[in-house]
Amino acid sequence: MTGVQDRTPITHGFDIEAMQRERSGVNLEDETIALEVDNLDLYYGEKKALKSVTMKIPQKKVTAFIGPSGCGKSTLLRCFNRMNDLIDGCRTTGQIRLEGKNIFDRDVDVAMLRRRVGMVFQKPNPFPKSIYENVAYGLRLAGVNKKRVLDETVEWALKGAALWDEAKDRLEDSALGLSGGQQQRLVIARAIAIHPDVILLDEPCSALDPISTLKVEELINELKKDYTIVIVTHNMQQAARVSDYTAFMYVGDLIEYGSTDQLFTKPSKKQTEDYITGRYG
Amino acid sequence: MSTAQTPATAAELPRAITSKRAVGLQSRYIKDRLARYVVLVGGLGVIGALLLIFVYLAQEVAPLFQGAHVEKRKTFALPGAAGRTLYLSAEEQGEIGMRAADDGGVTFFDLNTGDVRATQMLPLGERKLLSVASLSSERGMLAAGLDDGSVLVFSHEYKVTYPDDKRLITPGLGYPRGPTPMAFASGPITELAVREEGDTLMLVGADATGTLNLKVFAKQTDLFGETTFTESPALRFTPDVKPDVLLLEPTLHWLYVIDRAAGKIAFYELDGAEKPELVEVKQAGASITSARYLAGGISIVLAQADGKVTQWFPARHGEEGTWYLARVREFSVHEGSKVTAIGPEQRRRGFAVGDESGHVSLYYATSGNRVYDEKMFDQAIERIVFNPRARVMLVQAVDGTLRVNEVHNEHPEVSFSSLWQKTWYESYDEPAYLYQSSSASSDFEPKFSLTPLMVGTLKGAFYAMIFAIPIAVLGAIFTANFMSPEMRQIVKPSVEVLAALPSVILGFLAGLWLAPFVETNLPGVFLTLLFLPVSIPLFGYLWSRMPRALRLRVPAGWEAALLIPVIAFVVWACFAAAKPVEALAFGGNMQTWMDHTLGIGYIQRNSLVVGIAMGIAVIPVIFSIAEDAIFSVPKHLSLGSLALGATPWQTLIGVVLPTASPGIFSAIMIGLGRAVGETMIVLMATGNTAVMDFGLFSGMRTLAANVAVEMPESEVGSTHFRLLFLAGLTLFLFTFVLNTFAETVRSRLRRKYSSL
Repeated sequence: MTGVQDRTPITHGFDIEAMQRERSGVNLEDETIALEVDNLDLYYGEKKALKSVTMKIPQKKVTAFIGPSGCGKSTLLRCFNRMNDLIDGCRTTGQIRLEGKNIFDRDVDVAMLRRRVGMVFQKPNPFPKSIYENVAYGLRLAGVNKKRVLDETVEWALKGAALWDEAKDRLEDSALGLSGGQQQRLVIARAIAIHPDVILLDEPCSALDPISTLKVEELINELKKDYTIVIVTHNMQQAARVSDYTAFMYVGDLIEYGSTDQLFTKPSKKQTEDYITGRYG
Repeated sequence: MSTAQTPATAAELPRAITSKRAVGLQSRYIKDRLARYVVLVGGLGVIGALLLIFVYLAQEVAPLFQGAHVEKRKTFALPGAAGRTLYLSAEEQGEIGMRAADDGGVTFFDLNTGDVRATQMLPLGERKLLSVASLSSERGMLAAGLDDGSVLVFSHEYKVTYPDDKRLITPGLGYPRGPTPMAFASGPITELAVREEGDTLMLVGADATGTLNLKVFAKQTDLFGETTFTESPALRFTPDVKPDVLLLEPTLHWLYVIDRAAGKIAFYELDGAEKPELVEVKQAGASITSARYLAGGISIVLAQADGKVTQWFPARHGEEGTWYLARVREFSVHEGSKVTAIGPEQRRRGFAVGDESGHVSLYYATSGNRVYDEKMFDQAIERIVFNPRARVMLVQAVDGTLRVNEVHNEHPEVSFSSLWQKTWYESYDEPAYLYQSSSASSDFEPKFSLTPLMVGTLKGAFYAMIFAIPIAVLGAIFTANFMSPEMRQIVKPSVEVLAALPSVILGFLAGLWLAPFVETNLPGVFLTLLFLPVSIPLFGYLWSRMPRALRLRVPAGWEAALLIPVIAFVVWACFAAAKPVEALAFGGNMQTWMDHTLGIGYIQRNSLVVGIAMGIAVIPVIFSIAEDAIFSVPKHLSLGSLALGATPWQTLIGVVLPTASPGIFSAIMIGLGRAVGETMIVLMATGNTAVMDFGLFSGMRTLAANVAVEMPESEVGSTHFRLLFLAGLTLFLFTFVLNTFAETVRSRLRRKYSSL
């Protein structure tokens, strides 16, 4: 892991042991809570996709959702910014509270909610615009039009997403000319440019090569200083590397949720142990 | 397990990467290559077919722009006895020439050899022949002015017979008014002009004293079929200029008296046997050497000593429309060389000019073209004569040598200026863009300006696009972006089926139902056009203010269905309100009001009707392509935008439309191409008048409709025929340029907004 050190100017290589040391003492009871999921049921038509999920997402920590395909982890993630609203025949019962406010309440402006809860998708999806305009897009939507403010925020967001050095000379070029890993970091820059509280990452590295994956993981580690991060991943090593807390889901049920350290070393449920040891999934 | 097939082991599958047979001979490679060639042939075939169409059109059009050429058939001395030649002509087939000399002898001679075929003497008795004037070139009628002041009308006739299946032309003379000369003036007639209009024969002659004599002979038939000839008393008057040349208009309205040396033209208005009234005297400049009427009897052509050749005809100016003699155009000739002869063609506005250096040039009046020029003699040209078909041209030099020429001059009418620029046509008061390819009379001047057709094409397409683009593009956006999938599955194919509607059906619906409907319900139609686009967003706004419980009753994406009753109501309300509105605002009748207050005339089959009908034809094309473009914008782009806190509207404007813009643009361009090339609808829903205005309430004639209307009635190979091909070629090039432009813009847009 130290081999990439010289290639990455902004963050440093992982020191997994140090990270584990740092994380070993964490306890959900001591954390400030960013999002509270309370008895959340979700139906796609007649099919129940989430079954009475109740959990607390801690602030400025990385929470990972793991589980086999189709277990509902991405569905749960999309509930946090109500992207499920866009799916026909999808309805929910129960609550998700952001700073105590139920996001399913009628007076919630979905667009405002999504500004507070940003999202990065599995496949990099930069808009067919310039790099600059991609990052500035969310700001313009929010009504920011001053050139100076835009310039500064774009630079800040690109620096925050560890892309500034690579992109600063080609801000006016099309974002589609970037590599996959750069595009994914651009999308993250686009998300943080509007200063969200929470960033949802839906398998952000599954379309990337190992080196790009490493860069994004380093970035997640940096970002958690300022943002609450929820990540869905298929890759248990990735969950173990980047997250503070991990939730294991299976067929719509939240099976086990706790600190990553504990879940991977001393899982309390048989199903969890079977999954992380590779018996199924 | 016993029935199950054993999976092939690795050993049973071919393993060698080299083949015993040559790679190219294996059947899958042969198929591969075959497929490649079939595709290649198909692709090249398309390009080849397109090129062939282009080449064919260009080949049909090309002769229009080739000049004339003239071949010498024979040169010989004028046959017949000595004496001054007074008249020279060639008959229809170009076989026999005729010469009338001052001794009263008429000689018919072979134009191929120069041999005399027949000689006849006019029954003049002791009288001498002084001048010969053409009375009617179509019927070969001439009038001879004699030294005792009488006039003999005679005709040269050519009987065609086919003994032994060979054409034999027998020339002869006839005397339609009898062989006795009619009494006209008291003294010898030096210059004579004779015309016959219906039953009236008018003679104008100048005698040696410079006095003009005018006499009218009329034939009257009474109820019982009895014919009586009346004869007006001879009118004598002194003209305002010296009468060297007299030109009498065939319909007996105008008389030109030309003073050669002074270069003056006196322009008279005639009124039967009354004294002519002078309109004006024009100073043409240098002395006039020759003056002739062009075919059709409207324009006169003057040649002057300084080498200028000009065309003149009567036109009107000012509020009262007072007549004046307009100098219409000047032809470029050999500068400074004195023009000595003008020979007009008999059925077209072409003429030949010969000068003192022996040059002969062919011109065409309408196009202003010089189509041919050749130095034929080393001496001055005295006379140039065409046969009626203008295929044979006789050029006579001053020494009496005659050169017979074959003329190949098929399409002198067309030039760049006559096609695309304002042209001053005969009987018009100013230059104009006009298209008129045929007329009831055979010697009219064809008006071949493509500009009004081009304007009509663009006008029709313009109004159709104004109607179609908003509906089609907004409809596509709504269908692709907001409509529920079930409703989209109904709406999209239904609109696309509209594209399969034969345009002839739309055409007759527009022409036979919509046009009269719009005419009788003009205020209602206007109110609908005004209020319908307003009422739809208004309803949308009101709907968003409705209580949530009510709104939830309509499934998401089906809100558009609610508009159906709304639209029906608004249309009904507009038509119901039309009568009172018309009574209040337009004084009871909107068309009369427009005519009186705005000065806009209403024509039933107008651009409004065409815009709606052709718009309906174009909407499915634009809608279908634009909808596909918008629908195929990747979902992850709009999700990305929505996840950044954009509303659906912001996502549409900020991400979806820019990404779909190449597709939307090409949809509009394909729609425009369809509108430009559309034939049936404009043919049936417009009056097909080639007008030059862009007004909403006037009709049009498009290039495509023009080809469709006129192609069946045009003579193959004629100028008109080739002009229709030129219209087709123009349309072809226009759509080609349009599509090339569209493709360039589209590929640039696509480079800019190509999605993942």
